[in-house]
Amino acid sequence: MKIILFFLTLIQLTWGADATIEVVKGVAGLSPLAIEDASAQSNDMGRKFTKMLAADMNVVSLFTVDESYAMAPLDSLSPSPVHKDAQYLLRYRLSDDGSGGVKADIKLLQNGNELFFKTYLLKQSEMLVFLSHAIAFDINGKMGGSPIDWIKRKVLFIRLTSPRHSEIVASDYTLSYQKVILTGGMYGFAKWGNKEQTDLYYTSLSDFKPTIYKMNLLSGKKEKLISSDGMAVCSDVSEDGQRLLLTLAPNGQPDIYMYDLSSRNKTRITDYSGIDVNGQFMGDGSIAFVSNRLGYPNIFSTRPGSTAVTPLVYQGKNNSSLSSYKNFLVYKARENSATFSGNTFNLHLLSLKSGNIKRLTASGENDYPRFSPDGEAILYIKQDGSRSSIGVIRFGLNKSFAFPLKSGRIQSIDW
Amino acid sequence: MMKNVAFLSATVAMLILSGCSSKEPAIDATANGNGTSIGTNANANGTSGTDSNAVIAPITNANANDAAGSEASASDSQLASILFDYDKFNIREDMQASMAKNALLVKDKAVKLEGNCDEFGSDEYNYALGLKRANAVKSELVNAGANADSITMVSFGEGNPVCLEKTQECWAKNRRVDFKLP
Repeated sequence: MKIILFFLTLIQLTWGADATIEVVKGVAGLSPLAIEDASAQSNDMGRKFTKMLAADMNVVSLFTVDESYAMAPLDSLSPSPVHKDAQYLLRYRLSDDGSGGVKADIKLLQNGNELFFKTYLLKQSEMLVFLSHAIAFDINGKMGGSPIDWIKRKVLFIRLTSPRHSEIVASDYTLSYQKVILTGGMYGFAKWGNKEQTDLYYTSLSDFKPTIYKMNLLSGKKEKLISSDGMAVCSDVSEDGQRLLLTLAPNGQPDIYMYDLSSRNKTRITDYSGIDVNGQFMGDGSIAFVSNRLGYPNIFSTRPGSTAVTPLVYQGKNNSSLSSYKNFLVYKARENSATFSGNTFNLHLLSLKSGNIKRLTASGENDYPRFSPDGEAILYIKQDGSRSSIGVIRFGLNKSFAFPLKSGRIQSIDW
Repeated sequence: MMKNVAFLSATVAMLILSGCSSKEPAIDATANGNGTSIGTNANANGTSGTDSNAVIAPITNANANDAAGSEASASDSQLASILFDYDKFNIREDMQASMAKNALLVKDKAVKLEGNCDEFGSDEYNYALGLKRANAVKSELVNAGANADSITMVSFGEGNPVCLEKTQECWAKNRRVDFKLP
């Protein structure tokens, strides 16, 4: 009977999530955690917050999470009766901070012992999910989990609302909180411009020529950076935020350029009569990019000032999108030759040091992979018919999660 | 016997659960953020002291509106859109007649060529494909006597479909270059 139950649990856990999960390791070894509301009164916000914390704790992947709602006093050392089997208790007390925000007292108990206590201040109650992410980050740190700095990052995406209309949206990684930053035109390829996530770059396609703008979120100010006939995209921003890799096509030929923000000079990196796009800074000073110079899209690398170009990927005949982190690449590959229905695009992780390739997704249209700034996770777009989802892959743990967008289609993402 | 029961149960469970699996998030997405922004960075009065993770500040004070974008449309009247094959940017035989007719109609005019793609891929490569299609049309126009300087190009990638159904016919209509006269 135990064997049957074990199989049922394992299958449920693996089947419910994205198929990229190969094996859920050590499920039986995770400790049970319950979440309890210690606020003065039970209300919608309190109930919603239990769901948010449960979702985050599942992503943290250190506990088996009991998602049932219950109230308990913050200082009580024992769980509420419905949570009597929980070894860990995560309690929260939400209160009005008196100026439109929320004060949150958070406590983590292990078998009656206090492991963690902290008070948070949320400036806007609408951003409740970010409070949950901040708590998950701290609990994960306290428990010694793999780094999850990405959980607090703001995700930037372009939503196509109708033909020739789109908007730029900032959200959390689950898409629960969404803030429209710019609307009224047609935009593409929004990308964060600095670590603090206060600056962003985007392409306006409503201008006479495609134009890259820089926008500051604190002031709302927009600054025109550069235009090009045909195509203008900010593909990557250097770690210090001072150099950009752009795709420009002044003569109808998309090529990669390096743009220095302080001197405002641009340097041509590639010069090829076909397609060169999607430049990415690599950890060793080289630049990886997508090119069709062998007759099909594939991943290559070059160095500024050099004309030598080296293929980086030797598998697949249609690798058309990439993201880099130091010596790692994640790229999108078309798996089948079906011209129309049944197109399958999967994401692959390549270690340039070992040459090992790991397939990260198993089916469907998986697009636009983006490494988190700490290289611990990959964000991507999953297209399912007219519906887009944002996926997060924690490849170190063989886990992935998908969060659907309610309306519109996602063109690009960044975090 | 016990092994068989376990195997059968697992198989049945697999079939049932695969039908029930859901990618819905545990959190209900609330869509369009219209939250007003109050942008101060006060410190939290946490008993364990303050750190950068204790205060969650608003994302932005901005909620900007650009001037209205242009409406979706195919080529200007009388000018036929030029259609392309999947993943290709060469002008097909069956498009040559439309191409020649368009070349005559825009010969001494300024024209904007808008490259478009089907919905498979929103990455830069797909946009570049749209641009290469526009560029192939531009080359034909220049060969037919048009002035290269009077031709501008843009790629809208998959963002400007004229047909929204999930059919081969529909995707074929979207892989196109439109002609726009100012």
